[in-house]
Amino acid sequence: MDDDVSPIASLVAAAAGGEQDAWRELVERYAPLLATVIRRFRLTSSEVEDVAQTVWLRLVEHLGSLREPQAVPCWIITTGRRESIRYLTAQRWVRPNDPLDGGYESAAADEHDPDEDLFRVARHEALLAGLAELPARQRDLLLLLVEDPPLSYAEISDRTGIPVGSIGPTRARALERLRRTPSIRACAAGPEPEGPAGGGRHDAARLG
Amino acid sequence: MTQPGWDDDERLLEDLARAVRDTAPLAGRIADHGEAALSWRTIDEELLLASLTFDSSLEQVRETRAGTGEGRVLVFTSPPLSVEIEVLADQVVGQILPPGEGEIVVETPDGAQRRVSAGESGFFVLPEVPEGPVRLRCDTSTGRVVTSWVRL
Repeated sequence: MDDDVSPIASLVAAAAGGEQDAWRELVERYAPLLATVIRRFRLTSSEVEDVAQTVWLRLVEHLGSLREPQAVPCWIITTGRRESIRYLTAQRWVRPNDPLDGGYESAAADEHDPDEDLFRVARHEALLAGLAELPARQRDLLLLLVEDPPLSYAEISDRTGIPVGSIGPTRARALERLRRTPSIRACAAGPEPEGPAGGGRHDAARLG
Repeated sequence: MTQPGWDDDERLLEDLARAVRDTAPLAGRIADHGEAALSWRTIDEELLLASLTFDSSLEQVRETRAGTGEGRVLVFTSPPLSVEIEVLADQVVGQILPPGEGEIVVETPDGAQRRVSAGESGFFVLPEVPEGPVRLRCDTSTGRVVTSWVRL
């Protein structure tokens, strides 16, 4: 049934064909994953925006070669990391950071022990990559369920059209679907820093 | 079968909630920056993509070269030609290979363009280092390529 089909492949194909709505949805779905990848590097807010913009522009370049849905999260994680590292090395090397460029607040939110950070980041990457590829109805429901402050089932029912009595079972199905996504399954194989979102080495040999 | 705790619905949802909330405001800004990117989709089939195949800033073993006058080196490669550039403190020097005359257009995501020419030797100079992401569109007798987006 439709509930079990990931929309990513068709969104990628439509965006590659120039459909702005499909592109917008892809960007919205993967922005949390990209945010998790970039924020680890503690860049300033303007640097974060530059890195993100570069990753999206690169993704547009690669839409034609990423028709496998599983390749998208891998590609985003790899490219996001690489662009952040590029920024850290290249910018600080050629042009020392401008002390007047404030804004370290935004991205540098973690103050935990680095090992714990790495483990948590890998788990978060897997969860957000998995969430990104859920069918819209399941993804929307999970996003409403994690809102802070929490919404009542009545409010969730109003927003989604799912009857109150069906929210529990739909939630259970959505979580089960999330567990079965390639990203989560790959993460379950162990915290492997190079590819929690899937074992594919797609594009890994290229810098571009 | 999954990470400790993820077999449990409550635990999985709790971890998901944390992952979503941790990134929420930043993800919103990042999404805003992505929307316009699709307008840079290349629909000109004869314009080939030159991928970034070398970037000295990503080399693992790199001495601190600040002050030696050497800049960051990037190489973009496509089947018909490659473009090598070196980012210096206040300018960018470049070389088209195989050498030949050409026109280079520096494109930025806001749509601004700057043109420079390469002489017979294929050598060109950008008189300043652009801020933010850029790509170089190179029109030569050997072929027409556009580089990957990159920040210099």
